[in-house]
Amino acid sequence: MEDVRREYTDASDAALVVSIGRFQQAALAEAYRRHAGACFGLAKRLLGDHSRAEEIIQEVFVRLWNEPNRYDPERGTLRSFLLAHTHGRSVDLIRADAARRRREEREAREQADGGYDIAHEVWDLALAGHVREAMETLHPGEREAIELAYFGGLTYKEAAEQLGEPEGTVKSRIRSGLKRLRSELGRAGVGVGAE
Amino acid sequence: MGGAMDDVPDTSGDAYDLDELLGAYALDAVDADERRRVEDYLEVNPRAAAEVEAHREVATMLAFTGMDAPDDLWNRIAGEIGDTAPPPGPELAKVLSIDDHPKRRAISRIAPWVVSVAAAAVVAFVAIGLADRADAPNAPITSALEAARADRDSITTTLVADGSSASAEAIIDQDGHGFVVAQELPTLPEDQTYQLWGVVENGDVISLGIFGPNPEIETFTVEGAVTALAITIEQAPGVISDGNPDGAFVGAF
Repeated sequence: MEDVRREYTDASDAALVVSIGRFQQAALAEAYRRHAGACFGLAKRLLGDHSRAEEIIQEVFVRLWNEPNRYDPERGTLRSFLLAHTHGRSVDLIRADAARRRREEREAREQADGGYDIAHEVWDLALAGHVREAMETLHPGEREAIELAYFGGLTYKEAAEQLGEPEGTVKSRIRSGLKRLRSELGRAGVGVGAE
Repeated sequence: MGGAMDDVPDTSGDAYDLDELLGAYALDAVDADERRRVEDYLEVNPRAAAEVEAHREVATMLAFTGMDAPDDLWNRIAGEIGDTAPPPGPELAKVLSIDDHPKRRAISRIAPWVVSVAAAAVVAFVAIGLADRADAPNAPITSALEAARADRDSITTTLVADGSSASAEAIIDQDGHGFVVAQELPTLPEDQTYQLWGVVENGDVISLGIFGPNPEIETFTVEGAVTALAITIEQAPGVISDGNPDGAFVGAF
């Protein structure tokens, strides 16, 4: 049994998903060990609610168990896949709950007013320095737009209204900011997938 | 009357606008109508699809907080998925739902030749889907196999490959329990594995399980309509899609 666990510990994410497709619960446990923390952190930040974040993570990993074929390793990392599901489901909840959405917008506004704090979110990572430096290369408008959209759960139109900027400007800033981040992280030797 | 062009999203006039939406789309920051327009656009524009994936990878870097998930959450997940391992003995291969398959799976590389073999086949009315693990056969595998063989409602096929005298027998009983008698298949190197695929009614080819390099009597479970089966040779631990057609064993029901 230890050999089995060691096998999964050393397995690639793609191999884990294949094993999940074979009913290997230990493979799902290893995927959980690797990625659930990141997913939970994102969901909790978006939802501001511990128990709802747990519900989202449970849903995301049960779905991976039931539908492992949805993950295509050629299209990105497993972490990116799981985080995208986590983010999407969290945003769905936010938008389905008007009262919660208003609260999140208020928190997002306070966050934007408070300035850039991504470093606080990633300070305990080995990559924190690279991410912080990459974020600092962004135009302040790009940073604000990305923060409101990704961590505030706002649409770009809602972010534009909040920032008092034209919708097209905010839409473009999100895209250009993400491209710039990718470029900066790549320059720092942090691979973020091929385009 | 609808023509072929009706199936192609009209993106010529607003490709620039759609490109500009890709960042927001990757962050779930578009409304429902825009989401549908972008997803239609991604279906026909691989460059845009790649850009979205790249944006999501960047978001991944931002999202990581170094936080641990709650200790008891895994126990709840394990409880929901069923905390029993597959039954000892023959391992059930997992069958993937046909309802939610990504569209790309429909163009799996092995589809054309498998489907051609199955062209004259009688469709077997078994539903493919996620099997209830509680329904797994617990009897010794040979007994279960013999029972399936004796069942007049079971369907059978023989899987053969060009240039090989070896073959494998496949049987699916009326409850959807499948067996592949595969002892004749040549033993593969340790870094390779046999993988079972099923062709469903709409022509999609779906992975049904991985048998390892030296299969004997293997089991799987189906819950849907299957027209043919194929066993391919893959690099271990197997592939999620696009099976290798070279040397594949194929049989139609």
